[in-house]
Amino acid sequence: MLRTVKPKTARSKRALEKRAPKAVENPKKALFLRGTSCSQITQDALGDLYALRQVHAKRFQKKNAIHPFEDASSLAFFSEKNDCSLLLFGSSNKKRPHTITFARTFDYKILDMLELCLDGESFRSISQFKTQKVPVGTRPLMVFAGTAFESPVPNGFTMAKSMLIDFFRGETSDKIDVEGLRFVVVVTADEPTTAENSDDPSSKAVLRLRVYTIQTKRSGQKLPRVELEEHGPRIDFRIGRIQEPDEAMLKEALRKAKTNEERTKKNISTDIMGDKLGRIHMGKLDLSQLQTRKMKGLKRERDVLDEAETVVEEAPKRKKKVDI
Amino acid sequence: MAFHKLVKNSAYYSRFQTKYKRRREGKTDYYARKRLVTQAKNKYNAPKYRLVVRFSNRDIITQIVTSEITGDKIFAAAYSHELRAYGIEHGLTNWAAAYATGLLLARRVLKKLGLDEQFAGVEEADGEYTLTEATETDDGERRPFKAFLDVGLSRTSTGARVFGVMKGASDGGILVPHSENRFPGFDMESEELDAETLKKYIFGGHVAEYMETLADDDEERYKGQFVKYIEDDLEADSLEDLYAEAHKSIREDPFKKYESDAPKKTKEEWKAESKKYRQSKLTHEQRKAGVQERIAALLQE
Repeated sequence: MLRTVKPKTARSKRALEKRAPKAVENPKKALFLRGTSCSQITQDALGDLYALRQVHAKRFQKKNAIHPFEDASSLAFFSEKNDCSLLLFGSSNKKRPHTITFARTFDYKILDMLELCLDGESFRSISQFKTQKVPVGTRPLMVFAGTAFESPVPNGFTMAKSMLIDFFRGETSDKIDVEGLRFVVVVTADEPTTAENSDDPSSKAVLRLRVYTIQTKRSGQKLPRVELEEHGPRIDFRIGRIQEPDEAMLKEALRKAKTNEERTKKNISTDIMGDKLGRIHMGKLDLSQLQTRKMKGLKRERDVLDEAETVVEEAPKRKKKVDI
Repeated sequence: MAFHKLVKNSAYYSRFQTKYKRRREGKTDYYARKRLVTQAKNKYNAPKYRLVVRFSNRDIITQIVTSEITGDKIFAAAYSHELRAYGIEHGLTNWAAAYATGLLLARRVLKKLGLDEQFAGVEEADGEYTLTEATETDDGERRPFKAFLDVGLSRTSTGARVFGVMKGASDGGILVPHSENRFPGFDMESEELDAETLKKYIFGGHVAEYMETLADDDEERYKGQFVKYIEDDLEADSLEDLYAEAHKSIREDPFKKYESDAPKKTKEEWKAESKKYRQSKLTHEQRKAGVQERIAALLQE
C-alpha cells in the first residue's frame, strides 16, 4: 500500500480527485509489463496489444521479477502507482513458454487473473500485414464465436471473454459515428476437447484472436458492401492458470453507486401531447361474485333448495353467499 | 562546506526513466500531441486530421496528417518551394508565401477528396475572418473537411506565419477551427481584426512596403536584400498582382509541377549531394591505424 497523503497543494488535490472513485468511472488504463525473461514473440505481442490500446495504456520496458500466480503484490503496487486497473504481464520460461497474464484490479487489489499462453508458431504481428492501420484511440467491434463463451458456469473462456471486452472497451460513449467503425476483433473458441482436464497444456482448447479492418465499398445500393481485411495481430491462445475473483470482492466491484440521477418511474409515461399517463394494477377480477341481472328463470328449483339447506347447516357462511 | 546528501545514487539511476526520444531531442510537444491526436469522446470515434505546419530556413512544409496505431500517415502535403510553379519565386518563407502554401494544400486535399467543387472557400481574399461552413449538395448537407492546426514547437505570437498557412487553408475551403486574434492586424486593445492589414499581408504588401522604404532610404541595403527580386525585375508595386495571380492559378490546378531551368542532376550526383555534410564511419582498419598513429606521436614526445 502506498502512503495516503493529504494533498497539500491544489494541484495534487486535483490529481487525487482524478483517481478517486466516481459514479461513472474513468476509462480503464492498461499497464504493460514484462518479466525477467520474456521472449521476443511475447514482447511483440505485448507491443501490438499496446498499439491497439493506445491512449489509455502505459508500457514499461524494464524487467520485473514478478510471478503473478505466486505473489501478485507487486502487480497491485504497480496498479496503484500508475492508476491502471488492467495489467498485462508478459513472461516466458521453459514450462510455460510465451505467456501473457491478464490481471484486473479493484480498489488497487488484484481481483482476478488469467494466464494465456501464446502459440509462438502461428503468431503474426501487426507489421506483418500490409493493410491500412486503424487510427489511434478508435474502438473495435467485437465478435465472440464459439459455444464455450456461453457457458453458464464461469470458466476460463468466460473469463477470457470478460477480460478481452474490458481490454478493448476503451472510453464508452452513448452514440457512435459510422465512420469510426474501423476494425473488428474476432475471438473464436475451438470446441473443448475431451482431454481438457489433463495437465498437458498443448491439449487444451485454443482461443483465436484475429483483428480485421472494415472496408466499405460501393455496392450500387444504399448500404455499402462491407469487406474485412486482416490487420493483425494474429494470436492463438491457450488458457493457462486462472485465479478466480474472490466472491466478496467481486460483489463489491460490481456494486453500482447510488446517484442523484432520477430513477425512471415505472408505469408513468407522457404521450405526444404532453399528457401524463399512468398505468395502474388492478387485482384479478373474481367473476364468481359478479352480480348478474336477477330474473325469475334463474331462480333455484325446489329439489336443489333442499340440498342447499343441508349445506347451510354445515356452513352458515355459505348461505350468505347464495343469498346475494 | 555543508554536508551534501548524495541524491543521484545508484537507486536513483536504476529507477531513472528516460523521456521519449523526440522529447529528448526537443522536437515534439507530447502534451499537445496527445490532445491533437485523440478524438474527443463526444465525436463518437470519428477519425481526426491535423494540419501540420513547419518552417525551415528556406521552406515551409504543410501536411494533412492522421495518426494510425503504427505511426502518422500523411494524407496530402504542400511545400512552399512548389509555389515556383505558380509564379512565386522569391520570399518563400514569408507570410504571403505561407498563405499561398496553405491555400495550395487545401485545394489539393479537396481535389483528392472530390470536394473541390462544393467547397470553393474564399475566392477573392479580403482579409475578413471567415470559417468554412457546411454546404448544400444534391444529397443533403455536406459538412466541410475538418483539420486542426498543429504548430509544433513554434511560438504562437500574434502575426506569426503559421497562422498565415492556417488562413490560407481556411480560405481554401477546409475547416480549421480558429479565432481571429492571432492574425496580423488584430488590435489587442479594441479586440478587433483590421481586415485591411490582413489583406495586405496576404498579398505581400508588407514586403512591398519594406522594399519601398529600403529603396528610398538605403539603396545599398536594398540591392543586397532584394537582389533576386531586382534580377527578375520585380518592383514593389507588382507584388500584389503576382500573389493574386498565383492564388488564381493554384485554384485552377493545384497539382502543377515546377520545371527547373537548371540542368538535371543524375542519380549519382544527388547521391554525392546527400553525402556532402554526412560523416561516414571509419572502418576497423582505419580506426586501428589512427590509434597507432597517435601512439607513435606520443612515443616521440
